[in-house]
Amino acid sequence: MIQTVSQGKSLGIYVHIPFCRSRCEYCDFYSLRGGRSKELMDRFLQALLAHIKETAQLAPGYEVDTVYFGGGTPSFFGADGLRRIFQELDRRFAVSKDAEVTLEANPDSVNERMLGKLRRAGFNRISLGVQTDDDIQLKALGRPHNYEQAVKAVQAARNAGFRNLSVDLMYGLPNQSREQWMTTLRHVLDLKPEHISCYGLKVEPGTPLYEYGHCANLPDDDMQADMYLYAVETLGEFGYTQYEISNFAKEGMESRHNLKYWTGGEYLGFGPSAASDFAGKRFTCKADLETYITGVMGGGQILSECESIALRERAGEYVMLRLRTTVGIAEEEYSKTFLLPFGPLEQLLRLYERKGLAKLDAGRWSLTPKGFLLSNQIIGQLLEAQQNSTPIAKLH
Amino acid sequence: MTDLSKIRNFSIVAHIDHGKSTLADRLLESCNAVELREMEDQLLDNMELERERGITIKARAVKLEYRADDGQDYVLNLIDTPGHVDFNYEVSRSLSACEGAILVVDASQGIEAQTLANTYLAIDEGLEVLPVINKIDLPAARPQEGKKEIEEVIGLPAMDAPQISVKNGLNIHSVLEMIVKQVPPPSGDRSAPLRALIFDSQYDSYRGVIVYLRVMDGVVEPGMEIKMMATGAVYKVVETGYLQPRGLQPAQGLGAGEVGYLTASIKNVADTRVGDTVTGAQNPAGEALPGYKAVQPMVFSGVYPADGSKYGDLRDALEKLKLNDASMSYVQENSIALGFGFRCGFLGLLHMEIILERLEREYNLDLITTAPNVVYHVTKTNGETVEVYTPLNYPDPAEIAQAEEPYVKASIITPQEYVGNIMELCQQRRGEYRDMTYLDQTRVELHYEMPLNEIIYDFFDALKSRTRGYASLDYELLDYRPSRLVKLDILLNGEVIDALSFIIFADNAYPRARKICEKLKENIPRQMFEIPVQAAIGGKVIARETIKALRKDVLAKCYGGDITRKKKLLEKQKEGKKRMRSFGTVSVPSEAFMAVLKLDD
Repeated sequence: MIQTVSQGKSLGIYVHIPFCRSRCEYCDFYSLRGGRSKELMDRFLQALLAHIKETAQLAPGYEVDTVYFGGGTPSFFGADGLRRIFQELDRRFAVSKDAEVTLEANPDSVNERMLGKLRRAGFNRISLGVQTDDDIQLKALGRPHNYEQAVKAVQAARNAGFRNLSVDLMYGLPNQSREQWMTTLRHVLDLKPEHISCYGLKVEPGTPLYEYGHCANLPDDDMQADMYLYAVETLGEFGYTQYEISNFAKEGMESRHNLKYWTGGEYLGFGPSAASDFAGKRFTCKADLETYITGVMGGGQILSECESIALRERAGEYVMLRLRTTVGIAEEEYSKTFLLPFGPLEQLLRLYERKGLAKLDAGRWSLTPKGFLLSNQIIGQLLEAQQNSTPIAKLH
Repeated sequence: MTDLSKIRNFSIVAHIDHGKSTLADRLLESCNAVELREMEDQLLDNMELERERGITIKARAVKLEYRADDGQDYVLNLIDTPGHVDFNYEVSRSLSACEGAILVVDASQGIEAQTLANTYLAIDEGLEVLPVINKIDLPAARPQEGKKEIEEVIGLPAMDAPQISVKNGLNIHSVLEMIVKQVPPPSGDRSAPLRALIFDSQYDSYRGVIVYLRVMDGVVEPGMEIKMMATGAVYKVVETGYLQPRGLQPAQGLGAGEVGYLTASIKNVADTRVGDTVTGAQNPAGEALPGYKAVQPMVFSGVYPADGSKYGDLRDALEKLKLNDASMSYVQENSIALGFGFRCGFLGLLHMEIILERLEREYNLDLITTAPNVVYHVTKTNGETVEVYTPLNYPDPAEIAQAEEPYVKASIITPQEYVGNIMELCQQRRGEYRDMTYLDQTRVELHYEMPLNEIIYDFFDALKSRTRGYASLDYELLDYRPSRLVKLDILLNGEVIDALSFIIFADNAYPRARKICEKLKENIPRQMFEIPVQAAIGGKVIARETIKALRKDVLAKCYGGDITRKKKLLEKQKEGKKRMRSFGTVSVPSEAFMAVLKLDD
């Protein structure tokens, strides 16, 4: 059993709501689409509440400073259910007063009234899936809303009192031109969100898009790279600082929850397919609603995987995840934490620096936007160098 | 020992897919030599690879016992032959161990060009060639036309040819009767000094080499001292016997006319060359049987493990393969690009393909092979003459007084409508036209003298595509002729990749260089930095392509649930890299080395 007694440690909580109005063509997250019965949603709610109650006992001494409702489409679940879940979290965990509480929402499943309810319940951040300003593209992607609804949703969130609003965008869409992407960015900047995420469309196996992606007229990698660099530059000009590969924020408005994923913070996940990194172990709930419900209620196995992460592996994760952020990695932090020499990494980083892919700033190495675009390659090479390095002798 | 008059030695000639192996199976079945349940499909093709490709690579033989309609018991020895020009010599030796051959013709497709060459080979060896018409159960079967064609094209009487279906076992009996009645019994003097023809041999780790032979004169028995007339090797016979469907059946001696095997604690198949004559060491024959040739590898290629650490495994595998295949050769070779490997010699391209496939399959190796080349003769300015087996050793242009390359006499048999296409192809390949003869009203045999190098460079494929597969090719080495040759080097990121160098006729260098650069560009994935791909002669670059730098390889989303997946992705990326060879900062997948071997013209 996981036994941790500690004081003042911070914890993030992720809640996965596996319901959507419809299935987006590119989505490979676990979610059930269409009109699910009230009864099933209720059973899920009960299971979730039980799971929260049961798990909270394992985390005494932790202070919850971020909560994130993702999915699926959490907003589709309805204000009452969401409020009930958050109340349970608040009751069972030590949720701090200034915790960041995010709701992922789609423009078609929010209105001012419901958002008002949630705001009053303690939610203070909305991440809105806008994706593009082009209705034809939205339709092609299987999104259940148009751009006008997105604009209205932003207004509703503002009216409901949300001061921290994020907009999700995608580039590299079927038939998308550079100009069209530039227009999208301009329109979204007019909405003045505090935070913007820009994701390059990736055709994932198992999605509808995967089946016909070859004839979907997708922009090639070079064009996607151009679109990305344009976004980084434009958003920078408008005061959005890039703090992760796909994430941009006004000063102080970074997603504190998501930063936990990249900086080795601890988090617990609830709901099917939700992942946790807690007390030295990483574990994931099975991506199946029935298994989750019956498992929680009947005491069966709900985890699909659970592994203890050795220090050496953490060293790899440190490189792999930190380099996604502009905070990057630092020699002292690295060698002290993992007892590994930084030299082999530095050698490569110097090479990347010469090619304009990495930069050294106040003792911290991070990737440039061009480097971010090649981060799979770069991280792969750095990890290889790390695996071939010998630990620094411990001082006994 | 069976009485000579009761022995029939025969072979089957057929086009691929026309039912040779199945006919063999049916004959075995009819003679009750094999129970049905014991039969794996196509029993004669023992090698897994042979079964899969539907071709026979090594000769095989089997003894059938048949009670004919005349009430007498006969021994029918079926000697199976390989079916490819690379193994023409082996075919001719197998055929010369027989007195008759069954020509299988598909009732719906008629005679195929490839069958002709072997049929003529059988006729040349003095065999009685007996046609049978197969697949008469097919709706499209036109047996009468097939027979007419045999008479017209080959000039064999065919009107009484049995009409059979090997698939349904139809009329197999009439084939057996035909063999007994029409294949002449062997002649031979059992009191004369021993003369036996080796038509195959195989290495067995317990008994040493098992020699497959046909006794022409005299008798060979256990305990007897024998001598290989060509190699001069002397052995004492341990065991003799017959080749039964289920395996070897020991017997006290083999006499003239018989087909069987012997073992003599022979360590190396190289001492038991196909076509060599076995005679008695004490009472040797005055003259060896005609037709022996020392088979020399004609095509050489560098063979390297894809994973450099598997060099030892490759060496062990080659050693074992060599035990069974005297016609292959290998010597150690070092490449700067690929590390330790071997320069292997093969009879031809198919032989090469087979050996490589066996290495990969039976020994579980991943291989990188370099472009195949022939053996060049180079006279240096200092008067020294060298034989060049690999581009790695090709002398500096300044040191070369004269370079020579091997020429072959190529004969191509084709339906006349393709003559134009073939002439064009041969001209492109530097062929020198010699003559053309009509075999009949529709079939033509063309003779060309061509550089062997042009034949090993995808000539078969080109011939096939220009003749819809109807033409067949045979070639034999003629001589060496002076030629204008250059060594073409390939550079990646400014470094010569020695494993990609090859020797080529000067006039062909430019187009080939361009094609190789294009092919490499297609097959080397874009990397973090731009990579120039260049082809050069001496220091002079004659072609260039650029592999643009990779711009995007990124995981857009990596949140809590994605981390495990991302780690797996990185693992996969690492595995993928293992199949790559690194040259400085450039990683080249082994497929790229293979891709430059296949350039379509």
